[in-house]
Amino acid sequence: MSDTPTRDDRPAGADQMLPIDGNPAEQPQADTPARGYTDEQKYRIFNKEFMPHIDSMYNFAFRLTTDEDDANDLVQDTYLKAFRFISSFEQGTNAKAWLFRILKNSFINDYRKKSKEPAKVDYQDVETTYNSEDAETEHTVDLRAESVSDLIGDEVATALNSLPVDFRTVIILCDIEGFTYEEMAKILDIPIGTVRSRLHRARNLLKEKLRDYASSMGYKEESDE
Amino acid sequence: MQTSLPSSSPVIPQSATKEHCDHQVDCLKMIQLILDGEATEQQVAKLKIDLESCQPCIKMYHLEREVKELLAKRMEKRCCPDELVATIKSRILSFS
Ligand SMILES: [Zn+2]
Repeated sequence: MSDTPTRDDRPAGADQMLPIDGNPAEQPQADTPARGYTDEQKYRIFNKEFMPHIDSMYNFAFRLTTDEDDANDLVQDTYLKAFRFISSFEQGTNAKAWLFRILKNSFINDYRKKSKEPAKVDYQDVETTYNSEDAETEHTVDLRAESVSDLIGDEVATALNSLPVDFRTVIILCDIEGFTYEEMAKILDIPIGTVRSRLHRARNLLKEKLRDYASSMGYKEESDE
Repeated sequence: MQTSLPSSSPVIPQSATKEHCDHQVDCLKMIQLILDGEATEQQVAKLKIDLESCQPCIKMYHLEREVKELLAKRMEKRCCPDELVATIKSRILSFS
């Protein structure tokens, strides 16, 4: 075998535009043009386009599951699925977004139920609650930039982990992984407008958590609610 | 991909006078679009005008930028363990 998978460094310009074809987390769609890659081509794609994203994928998996063993399993399952359904990936398109979408779907289908996260809030519940009190969600959080700037990474991570998983997800994708709204819409299978509003809500929740940290550390906030 | 965060805020004069903003939530949404690199030129221009006079929006802008930078730079990045990379590689090779 001339082209065995190796762990490459991330190539420049690895973030081409979508589309993401097919949905490997389920069955490949009937209308997905199956690409007749040879074995050698498959390994080359896997090697050059998939493996460079493995650290980002692992980081995403760990942020979703908040557990190293689960993250290991999730990343492994995702890469095996990606290889199995490689014919529904179009060479040269956005491999990172394609892989993230598979990982996200695997997480929802296989891991969410047994997830060890303490706050098991279903997104549906959260969404319903939030929509029913729109005035409450459409607000700003009173917090000063100066008190945030003293927080350390662990505190930010804890605050992020305490958010319901769907809110956590949009923040990870946008602020940590740097996906565009359009890419996020495709990874999450939701409209761009929903990406925008979910991000807005997620950030409000995160700022509330950060405010709790900041105030527990004794920073004085200007408002006293 | 997204454009990088503006390294300095738009015009922030000391003379910002407006203590209250009547459309703070809309301003916040626009601030987020801009920091995410998703705003149109029109939206950027509109916010710049607001930031020249509106005290609460200036504060929001700084806070949003700070939180975004915190997430991007201060969170620990987990790397994939080498054993997992090896396992995946060997599993893939046994596929064909
Ligand atoms: Zn304003």
